[in-house]
Amino acid sequence: MRHGKYPLLAAFLLPPLALYGYFVVSPYAQSFLIAMTDWQGLSPAYEFVGFDNFKRMVGDEYVWNALLNNLWLLVLLPLLTIALGLFLATMLNVGGRGGRSTVTGVRGSGLYKVIYFAPQMLSVSIVGVLWAEVYNPRSGLVNSALRAVGLDGLAKVWLGDPAYAFWAVLAVMVWANVGFYVVLFGAAMQSVPRDIYEAAALDGSSRLNTLVRITIPLLWDTIQVAWVYLAILALDGFALIHVMTRGGPNFSTDVVGLRLYTEAFGDYKWGYASAIGVVMFFVTLSVTVLSLRLTRRERIELS
Amino acid sequence: MAQSDLTRRTVLRRAAAAGVLAGPAAGLLSSCALGDDTSGDTSGKYEGTKSDKNPLGVKEDAPLDVVIFNGGFGEDYAKAHQAMYKETYPKAEVKHSAVVEINKELQPRFVDGTPPDFVNNSGAGQIDLGGLVAQGALADLTPLLDAPSLDVPGKKVRETLLPGTVESGSFDGKTYVLNYAYTVYGIWYSSKLFTEKGWEYAKTWDEHIALCKKIKAAGIAPWTYQGKHPRYMSWPVISTAIKFGGPQVAMAIDNLEPGAWTSDAMKAAAEAWHQIVKDKYILEGSPGLDHKQSQTEWCKGNAAFISCGSWLESEQKAVTPEGFNMAVAPTPSLGSADKLPFAAIRGTAGEPFVVPAKAKNERGGMELMRHMLSMKGAKDFTGKVSSLSVVAGAAEGATLPFGLTTAVKALADSGSNGFNWVYNVYYRKLERELVDAACGEFFSGRTTPAEFLAACQKGADLIAADTTFKKYKRSA
Amino acid sequence: MSEQTAVAERGPQAAQVDRPGQNVTGEPGRGRKALDGTLNVFSHAFLVVWGLLTALPLLWVVLSSFKDDAEILGDPWGLPSALRFDNFARAWTHGHIGQYFVNTGIVLLGSLTLTMLLGATAAYALARYKFLGSRLVYFVFVGGMMFPVVLAFVPLFKIVGGVGLRDTLPGLMLIYTAYSLPFTVFFLTAFFRTLPDAVAEAAYIDGCGPFRTFFRVMLPMAKPGLISVGIFNFLGHWNQYLLPVVLITSDEKQVLAQGLANLAISEGYRGDYSRLFAGLTLAMLPVLVVYAVFQRQVQSGLTAGQMK
Repeated sequence: MRHGKYPLLAAFLLPPLALYGYFVVSPYAQSFLIAMTDWQGLSPAYEFVGFDNFKRMVGDEYVWNALLNNLWLLVLLPLLTIALGLFLATMLNVGGRGGRSTVTGVRGSGLYKVIYFAPQMLSVSIVGVLWAEVYNPRSGLVNSALRAVGLDGLAKVWLGDPAYAFWAVLAVMVWANVGFYVVLFGAAMQSVPRDIYEAAALDGSSRLNTLVRITIPLLWDTIQVAWVYLAILALDGFALIHVMTRGGPNFSTDVVGLRLYTEAFGDYKWGYASAIGVVMFFVTLSVTVLSLRLTRRERIELS
Repeated sequence: MAQSDLTRRTVLRRAAAAGVLAGPAAGLLSSCALGDDTSGDTSGKYEGTKSDKNPLGVKEDAPLDVVIFNGGFGEDYAKAHQAMYKETYPKAEVKHSAVVEINKELQPRFVDGTPPDFVNNSGAGQIDLGGLVAQGALADLTPLLDAPSLDVPGKKVRETLLPGTVESGSFDGKTYVLNYAYTVYGIWYSSKLFTEKGWEYAKTWDEHIALCKKIKAAGIAPWTYQGKHPRYMSWPVISTAIKFGGPQVAMAIDNLEPGAWTSDAMKAAAEAWHQIVKDKYILEGSPGLDHKQSQTEWCKGNAAFISCGSWLESEQKAVTPEGFNMAVAPTPSLGSADKLPFAAIRGTAGEPFVVPAKAKNERGGMELMRHMLSMKGAKDFTGKVSSLSVVAGAAEGATLPFGLTTAVKALADSGSNGFNWVYNVYYRKLERELVDAACGEFFSGRTTPAEFLAACQKGADLIAADTTFKKYKRSA
Repeated sequence: MSEQTAVAERGPQAAQVDRPGQNVTGEPGRGRKALDGTLNVFSHAFLVVWGLLTALPLLWVVLSSFKDDAEILGDPWGLPSALRFDNFARAWTHGHIGQYFVNTGIVLLGSLTLTMLLGATAAYALARYKFLGSRLVYFVFVGGMMFPVVLAFVPLFKIVGGVGLRDTLPGLMLIYTAYSLPFTVFFLTAFFRTLPDAVAEAAYIDGCGPFRTFFRVMLPMAKPGLISVGIFNFLGHWNQYLLPVVLITSDEKQVLAQGLANLAISEGYRGDYSRLFAGLTLAMLPVLVVYAVFQRQVQSGLTAGQMK
C-alpha cells in the first residue's frame, strides 16, 4: 500500500529475525534432531535411533504418571484460578453496594489489587523457598494457624504425604497467579457498561446471579484467553515443583517438565529428554488448540 | 470487542501450526550441537618433560583450569591446594572457579570438548559418574596413583591412601575418580543429651527399641530423618543388613543381582527398622522436612537419633548449641548371628574429583591431585574443613571437633570390618529416585517391609533391564 | 495525553482499570438485603484473608533478613530479636550482591533497549504491512512461547560460544533479547494493530516517510503498550535464572537472580541463612518499588495486551 515498504521491512524485520533465528529457533530445532538419537550429553558421540525414544516413552510408567499429574493440573489450575479471580475481581470492582444506590468496588480495592498482584513480581525460586517454609509440618504457618484454633487434626505433613502434596503445590500455583487474573478480569469488568449492572441490581439480582448471568458471558473472551495461558502454565509447572518437592513424595507431584529435567541433568539421557520435550511441545500445542475449540462461541472473526 | 482484525484465539491457533513447520525447517539452517568432530584429543594437550621432581610431565607454564564445587567444604581449602601448585610451578596460571551447580555449568563444556582440567564433581548438581565413565569423558588416574608421593618419601601416591579409596573411584577395575574426603556413615546423637538423661547408645536392636521407648517416655522423639530425601534412611537399613548377612549383601546390590534387595538379610533389616515406624518413634512431621529442617529439629533436641554422614557436624555448625557434642555410632546389631561385629561401620571415600579426558592440561590436573594428596595438603584440608581426607595418618595430631573425633574413633574400632556399597555411584537414578521414593513410603508408614523391599527391587530390575545404562560389576 | 488517544480507540477498559471508585447511581435491589449483608461480611472477610495470605509470606522474607541463623531455623515465625543490619552488609559484600546488582543493571540496560527496539520494529512491520510470508514469520516468533527452555541449553551453549559471546555480558544481553522476542512481538503486534490507520495515512499525506511515520507518529502512540511490555520484560530479565546459569561461568560476571539462587543452594550446604534472606530482600525490594511506582502502567498495560 505504501512505497518504501521493502526498505522498511528489511530494516525492521531482518535484525530481530536473525537474532531470533540464531539464538532461539536453531537450538529448539536441534532438539528435534536430538530426540531421534541416543545422545547422552557428555560427549559429542551419538547414534540415530529413529523413534526408539518415543517407543520407550510409551512404556515408561514414570512419564505416564507425570503426564497424569499434568492433566490434573490442566483441569484444576485454570478452574480454580479463574473462579477465584472472578470472585475477587467482582468484589473489587462491582461488589460494593455501599451507600444507598451505587455499583462500585469495595472500599480499599486499589490496595487489595496491589497486594494481590505482588506475587507476580517474585521469581519462582523465591516463591518456592517461601512456601516450603509455610508448609513446614512443625513450624510452618499453615499448621501453626490450624493448631492455634484447635484444629490439630487438620494439621498435616503437607509436602511429605502423597495424599496432600499435589494439592499443596496446586494451592501455591493458584496463589502465585490469581492476582494477575484479578487485575485482568477487573479491567474487563470496567469495560462492561455500568447500566447493565445497575439494571441487574434494580431487578434484585444477587451477586452470584449477576456473576453467572452477566459477568461471565460478557467476559468470555478474556476468560478464554486466561484459560489458555493457565493451561500452558499447567503443562509446564516445572520450576515451582523443582524447588518445592522435586516431584516427591513417591512421584506424587512429578510433572513432565521435571521428568525431562531429570532425564537430561540427572541420568544424562539427552536423546530421551529431548523426545519428552518434543512430546511436551505437541501436547501444549494440542491443548491450546483444543481448549480454543472447546470454548469457542459465536463471534465475529474478520480475519 | 469483535472489531479486531486478528483475535488472540486465532493467533494462538496459528502460532501452533507455524511452530510445527518452523521447527524442523530451521534445523536445516543451523549447525548442530551434535556430531561435531572431536578435534583436539591428545594433540592439543600440554606436555612437559618428566623428571623426578615432575613425575607426571607437567608443562610448567601451562594454565590450569580448576572448577570447585562450592558446597559444604567451601572453596578456601581448594585455593590453598592451588597455592601449593603455584609454588611448584610459579609460571603456571591457575584459573579457579567455584560453582554450585556443576551439571548446568559443565555439561555443555564436556559436550563442547572444552572441559576444565580439574573438576570437583559434587553436590546436588553432580554429573552422574557412571555416565561420565561410560562415555569416556574421564581420564584414567593410574599415572597419578603410580607417581611418587609429594612428601611421603619412598611411597607411591597409591600407597598413601586409606584402604578402599582407590576401589571407591574404580569402574570395572579402572580408576577414574579420586574421592578425597573420607566419610563415616552412621547414627548420630547428642552425647550431652544422653549423659544428662543417663542413656547409653544401644548395641543391639532389641536394646535400641527399648531405649527408644525410654526416650519417647521422656517426651523426646527417638528418631527424625531427612524427610524430603528419605534415602538417608536407606543407609542404616542396608548397613544393618550387611552386618547381619555379611559384605555379600552389598555386593549383590551393587551388581544388580536378581533378588538382591529381597534377600533374607534385607528382609530381617527392613522388619527390624519397621519397628520404629510402627511404634511411632519418628518425630511427627518428619516426612515433610528437608535435610536442613530435620537436622535442625535434631539439634534443637526434639529428636534423639538421625542418620547421616560425617559432614553433618560442619553442615549444622551454625545452629548446633554449645556443648551439644554430637557423636556417631554404628547401627545396632540384629543379634548374635550377625556376620559382622557391632563396631563395623560404613566408611568410604567421598567427594569426587576428576580430570576430564579432554582436559588440555590433563597432566596439570593430576599434578594438582598429587599436591592435594600430599601430607601437607591433606593436613591443611582437615584443618580448614574439619573433615577427614583419604590420606592415611593425615589427621594425626590435629585437633578435631567433637563429632569428627568420634568418627575417627568409630573408624578405628571398625577396623577391617568396615564396609561400603557403590550402587549409588554406578546408578545414580536407583538411589536418588527409586530407592529414595520407596524409603519415603516405608518410613512414613504407608508400606510394609515386604512392599518396601519389593519397590526397591523393582527399581533395581528396571535399571538392570535398561540397556541404556552401562552396567558395572565389582568382585571385591 | 497520548495514552488517552490510544485507549480511546481500543475501548475504555484500560483507562478505567484504576478507577474502581467510579460511581453510577441507581436503585439498590430490595428483599435480598439480609442475604447480601451476610455475603458482604463473608466476602469482605475473604478479601482480607486473601490479602493476608499474599502479604504475610512477603513480610516473612523481610523479617527473616533481620534474624540470625538460629532464629530463622529454630523459630521461623517469630520476630527478630534485634535488627541485624550486618546481614545486609554481608550479603552486599561477601555475597557479592553489590557486584550482581551492577552486572544485572548493565545487562538489563542493554537487553531492554534491544528488546524494545527489535520487538517494536518487528511487531510494527508485522502488524502494519502485508507481505509474502508475513504470517509465517509472525507465527514463528509466537511459537517460541511454547517450548521448555531447558531443551535449548546445550545447543545454545555451543551457538553462543561459536560467536565468542560465552561468559560475556553482551552475550547475555543478546540472549535475553532473543528469548523475549516471542512475547514482545506477540504483545506489540496486537497493540500496533489497534492503532488507527487514519493517523498513519495522515502522516503519510503530510509527507512523512515510513521510517519517520514509525518513529515520530506511531511509536509515541504506542507508548502505553511499550511501557507495559517494557515492565514485563524488565521483570522477566530481572528474575531470569536459567539462561545465565548456562552462559555465565565467571563469578564476577554473574547476575542477581543467578547469584541468589547459587547463594540459596550453597546455603543448603553451609548455612548462612540470614545472608540469604538479606540477599532475597535486597533483590526483591527494587522490583517491588518499581511495581509500586508503575503499578498503574503494569496493570493497565497487561490489560491492554490481554484484551485483544
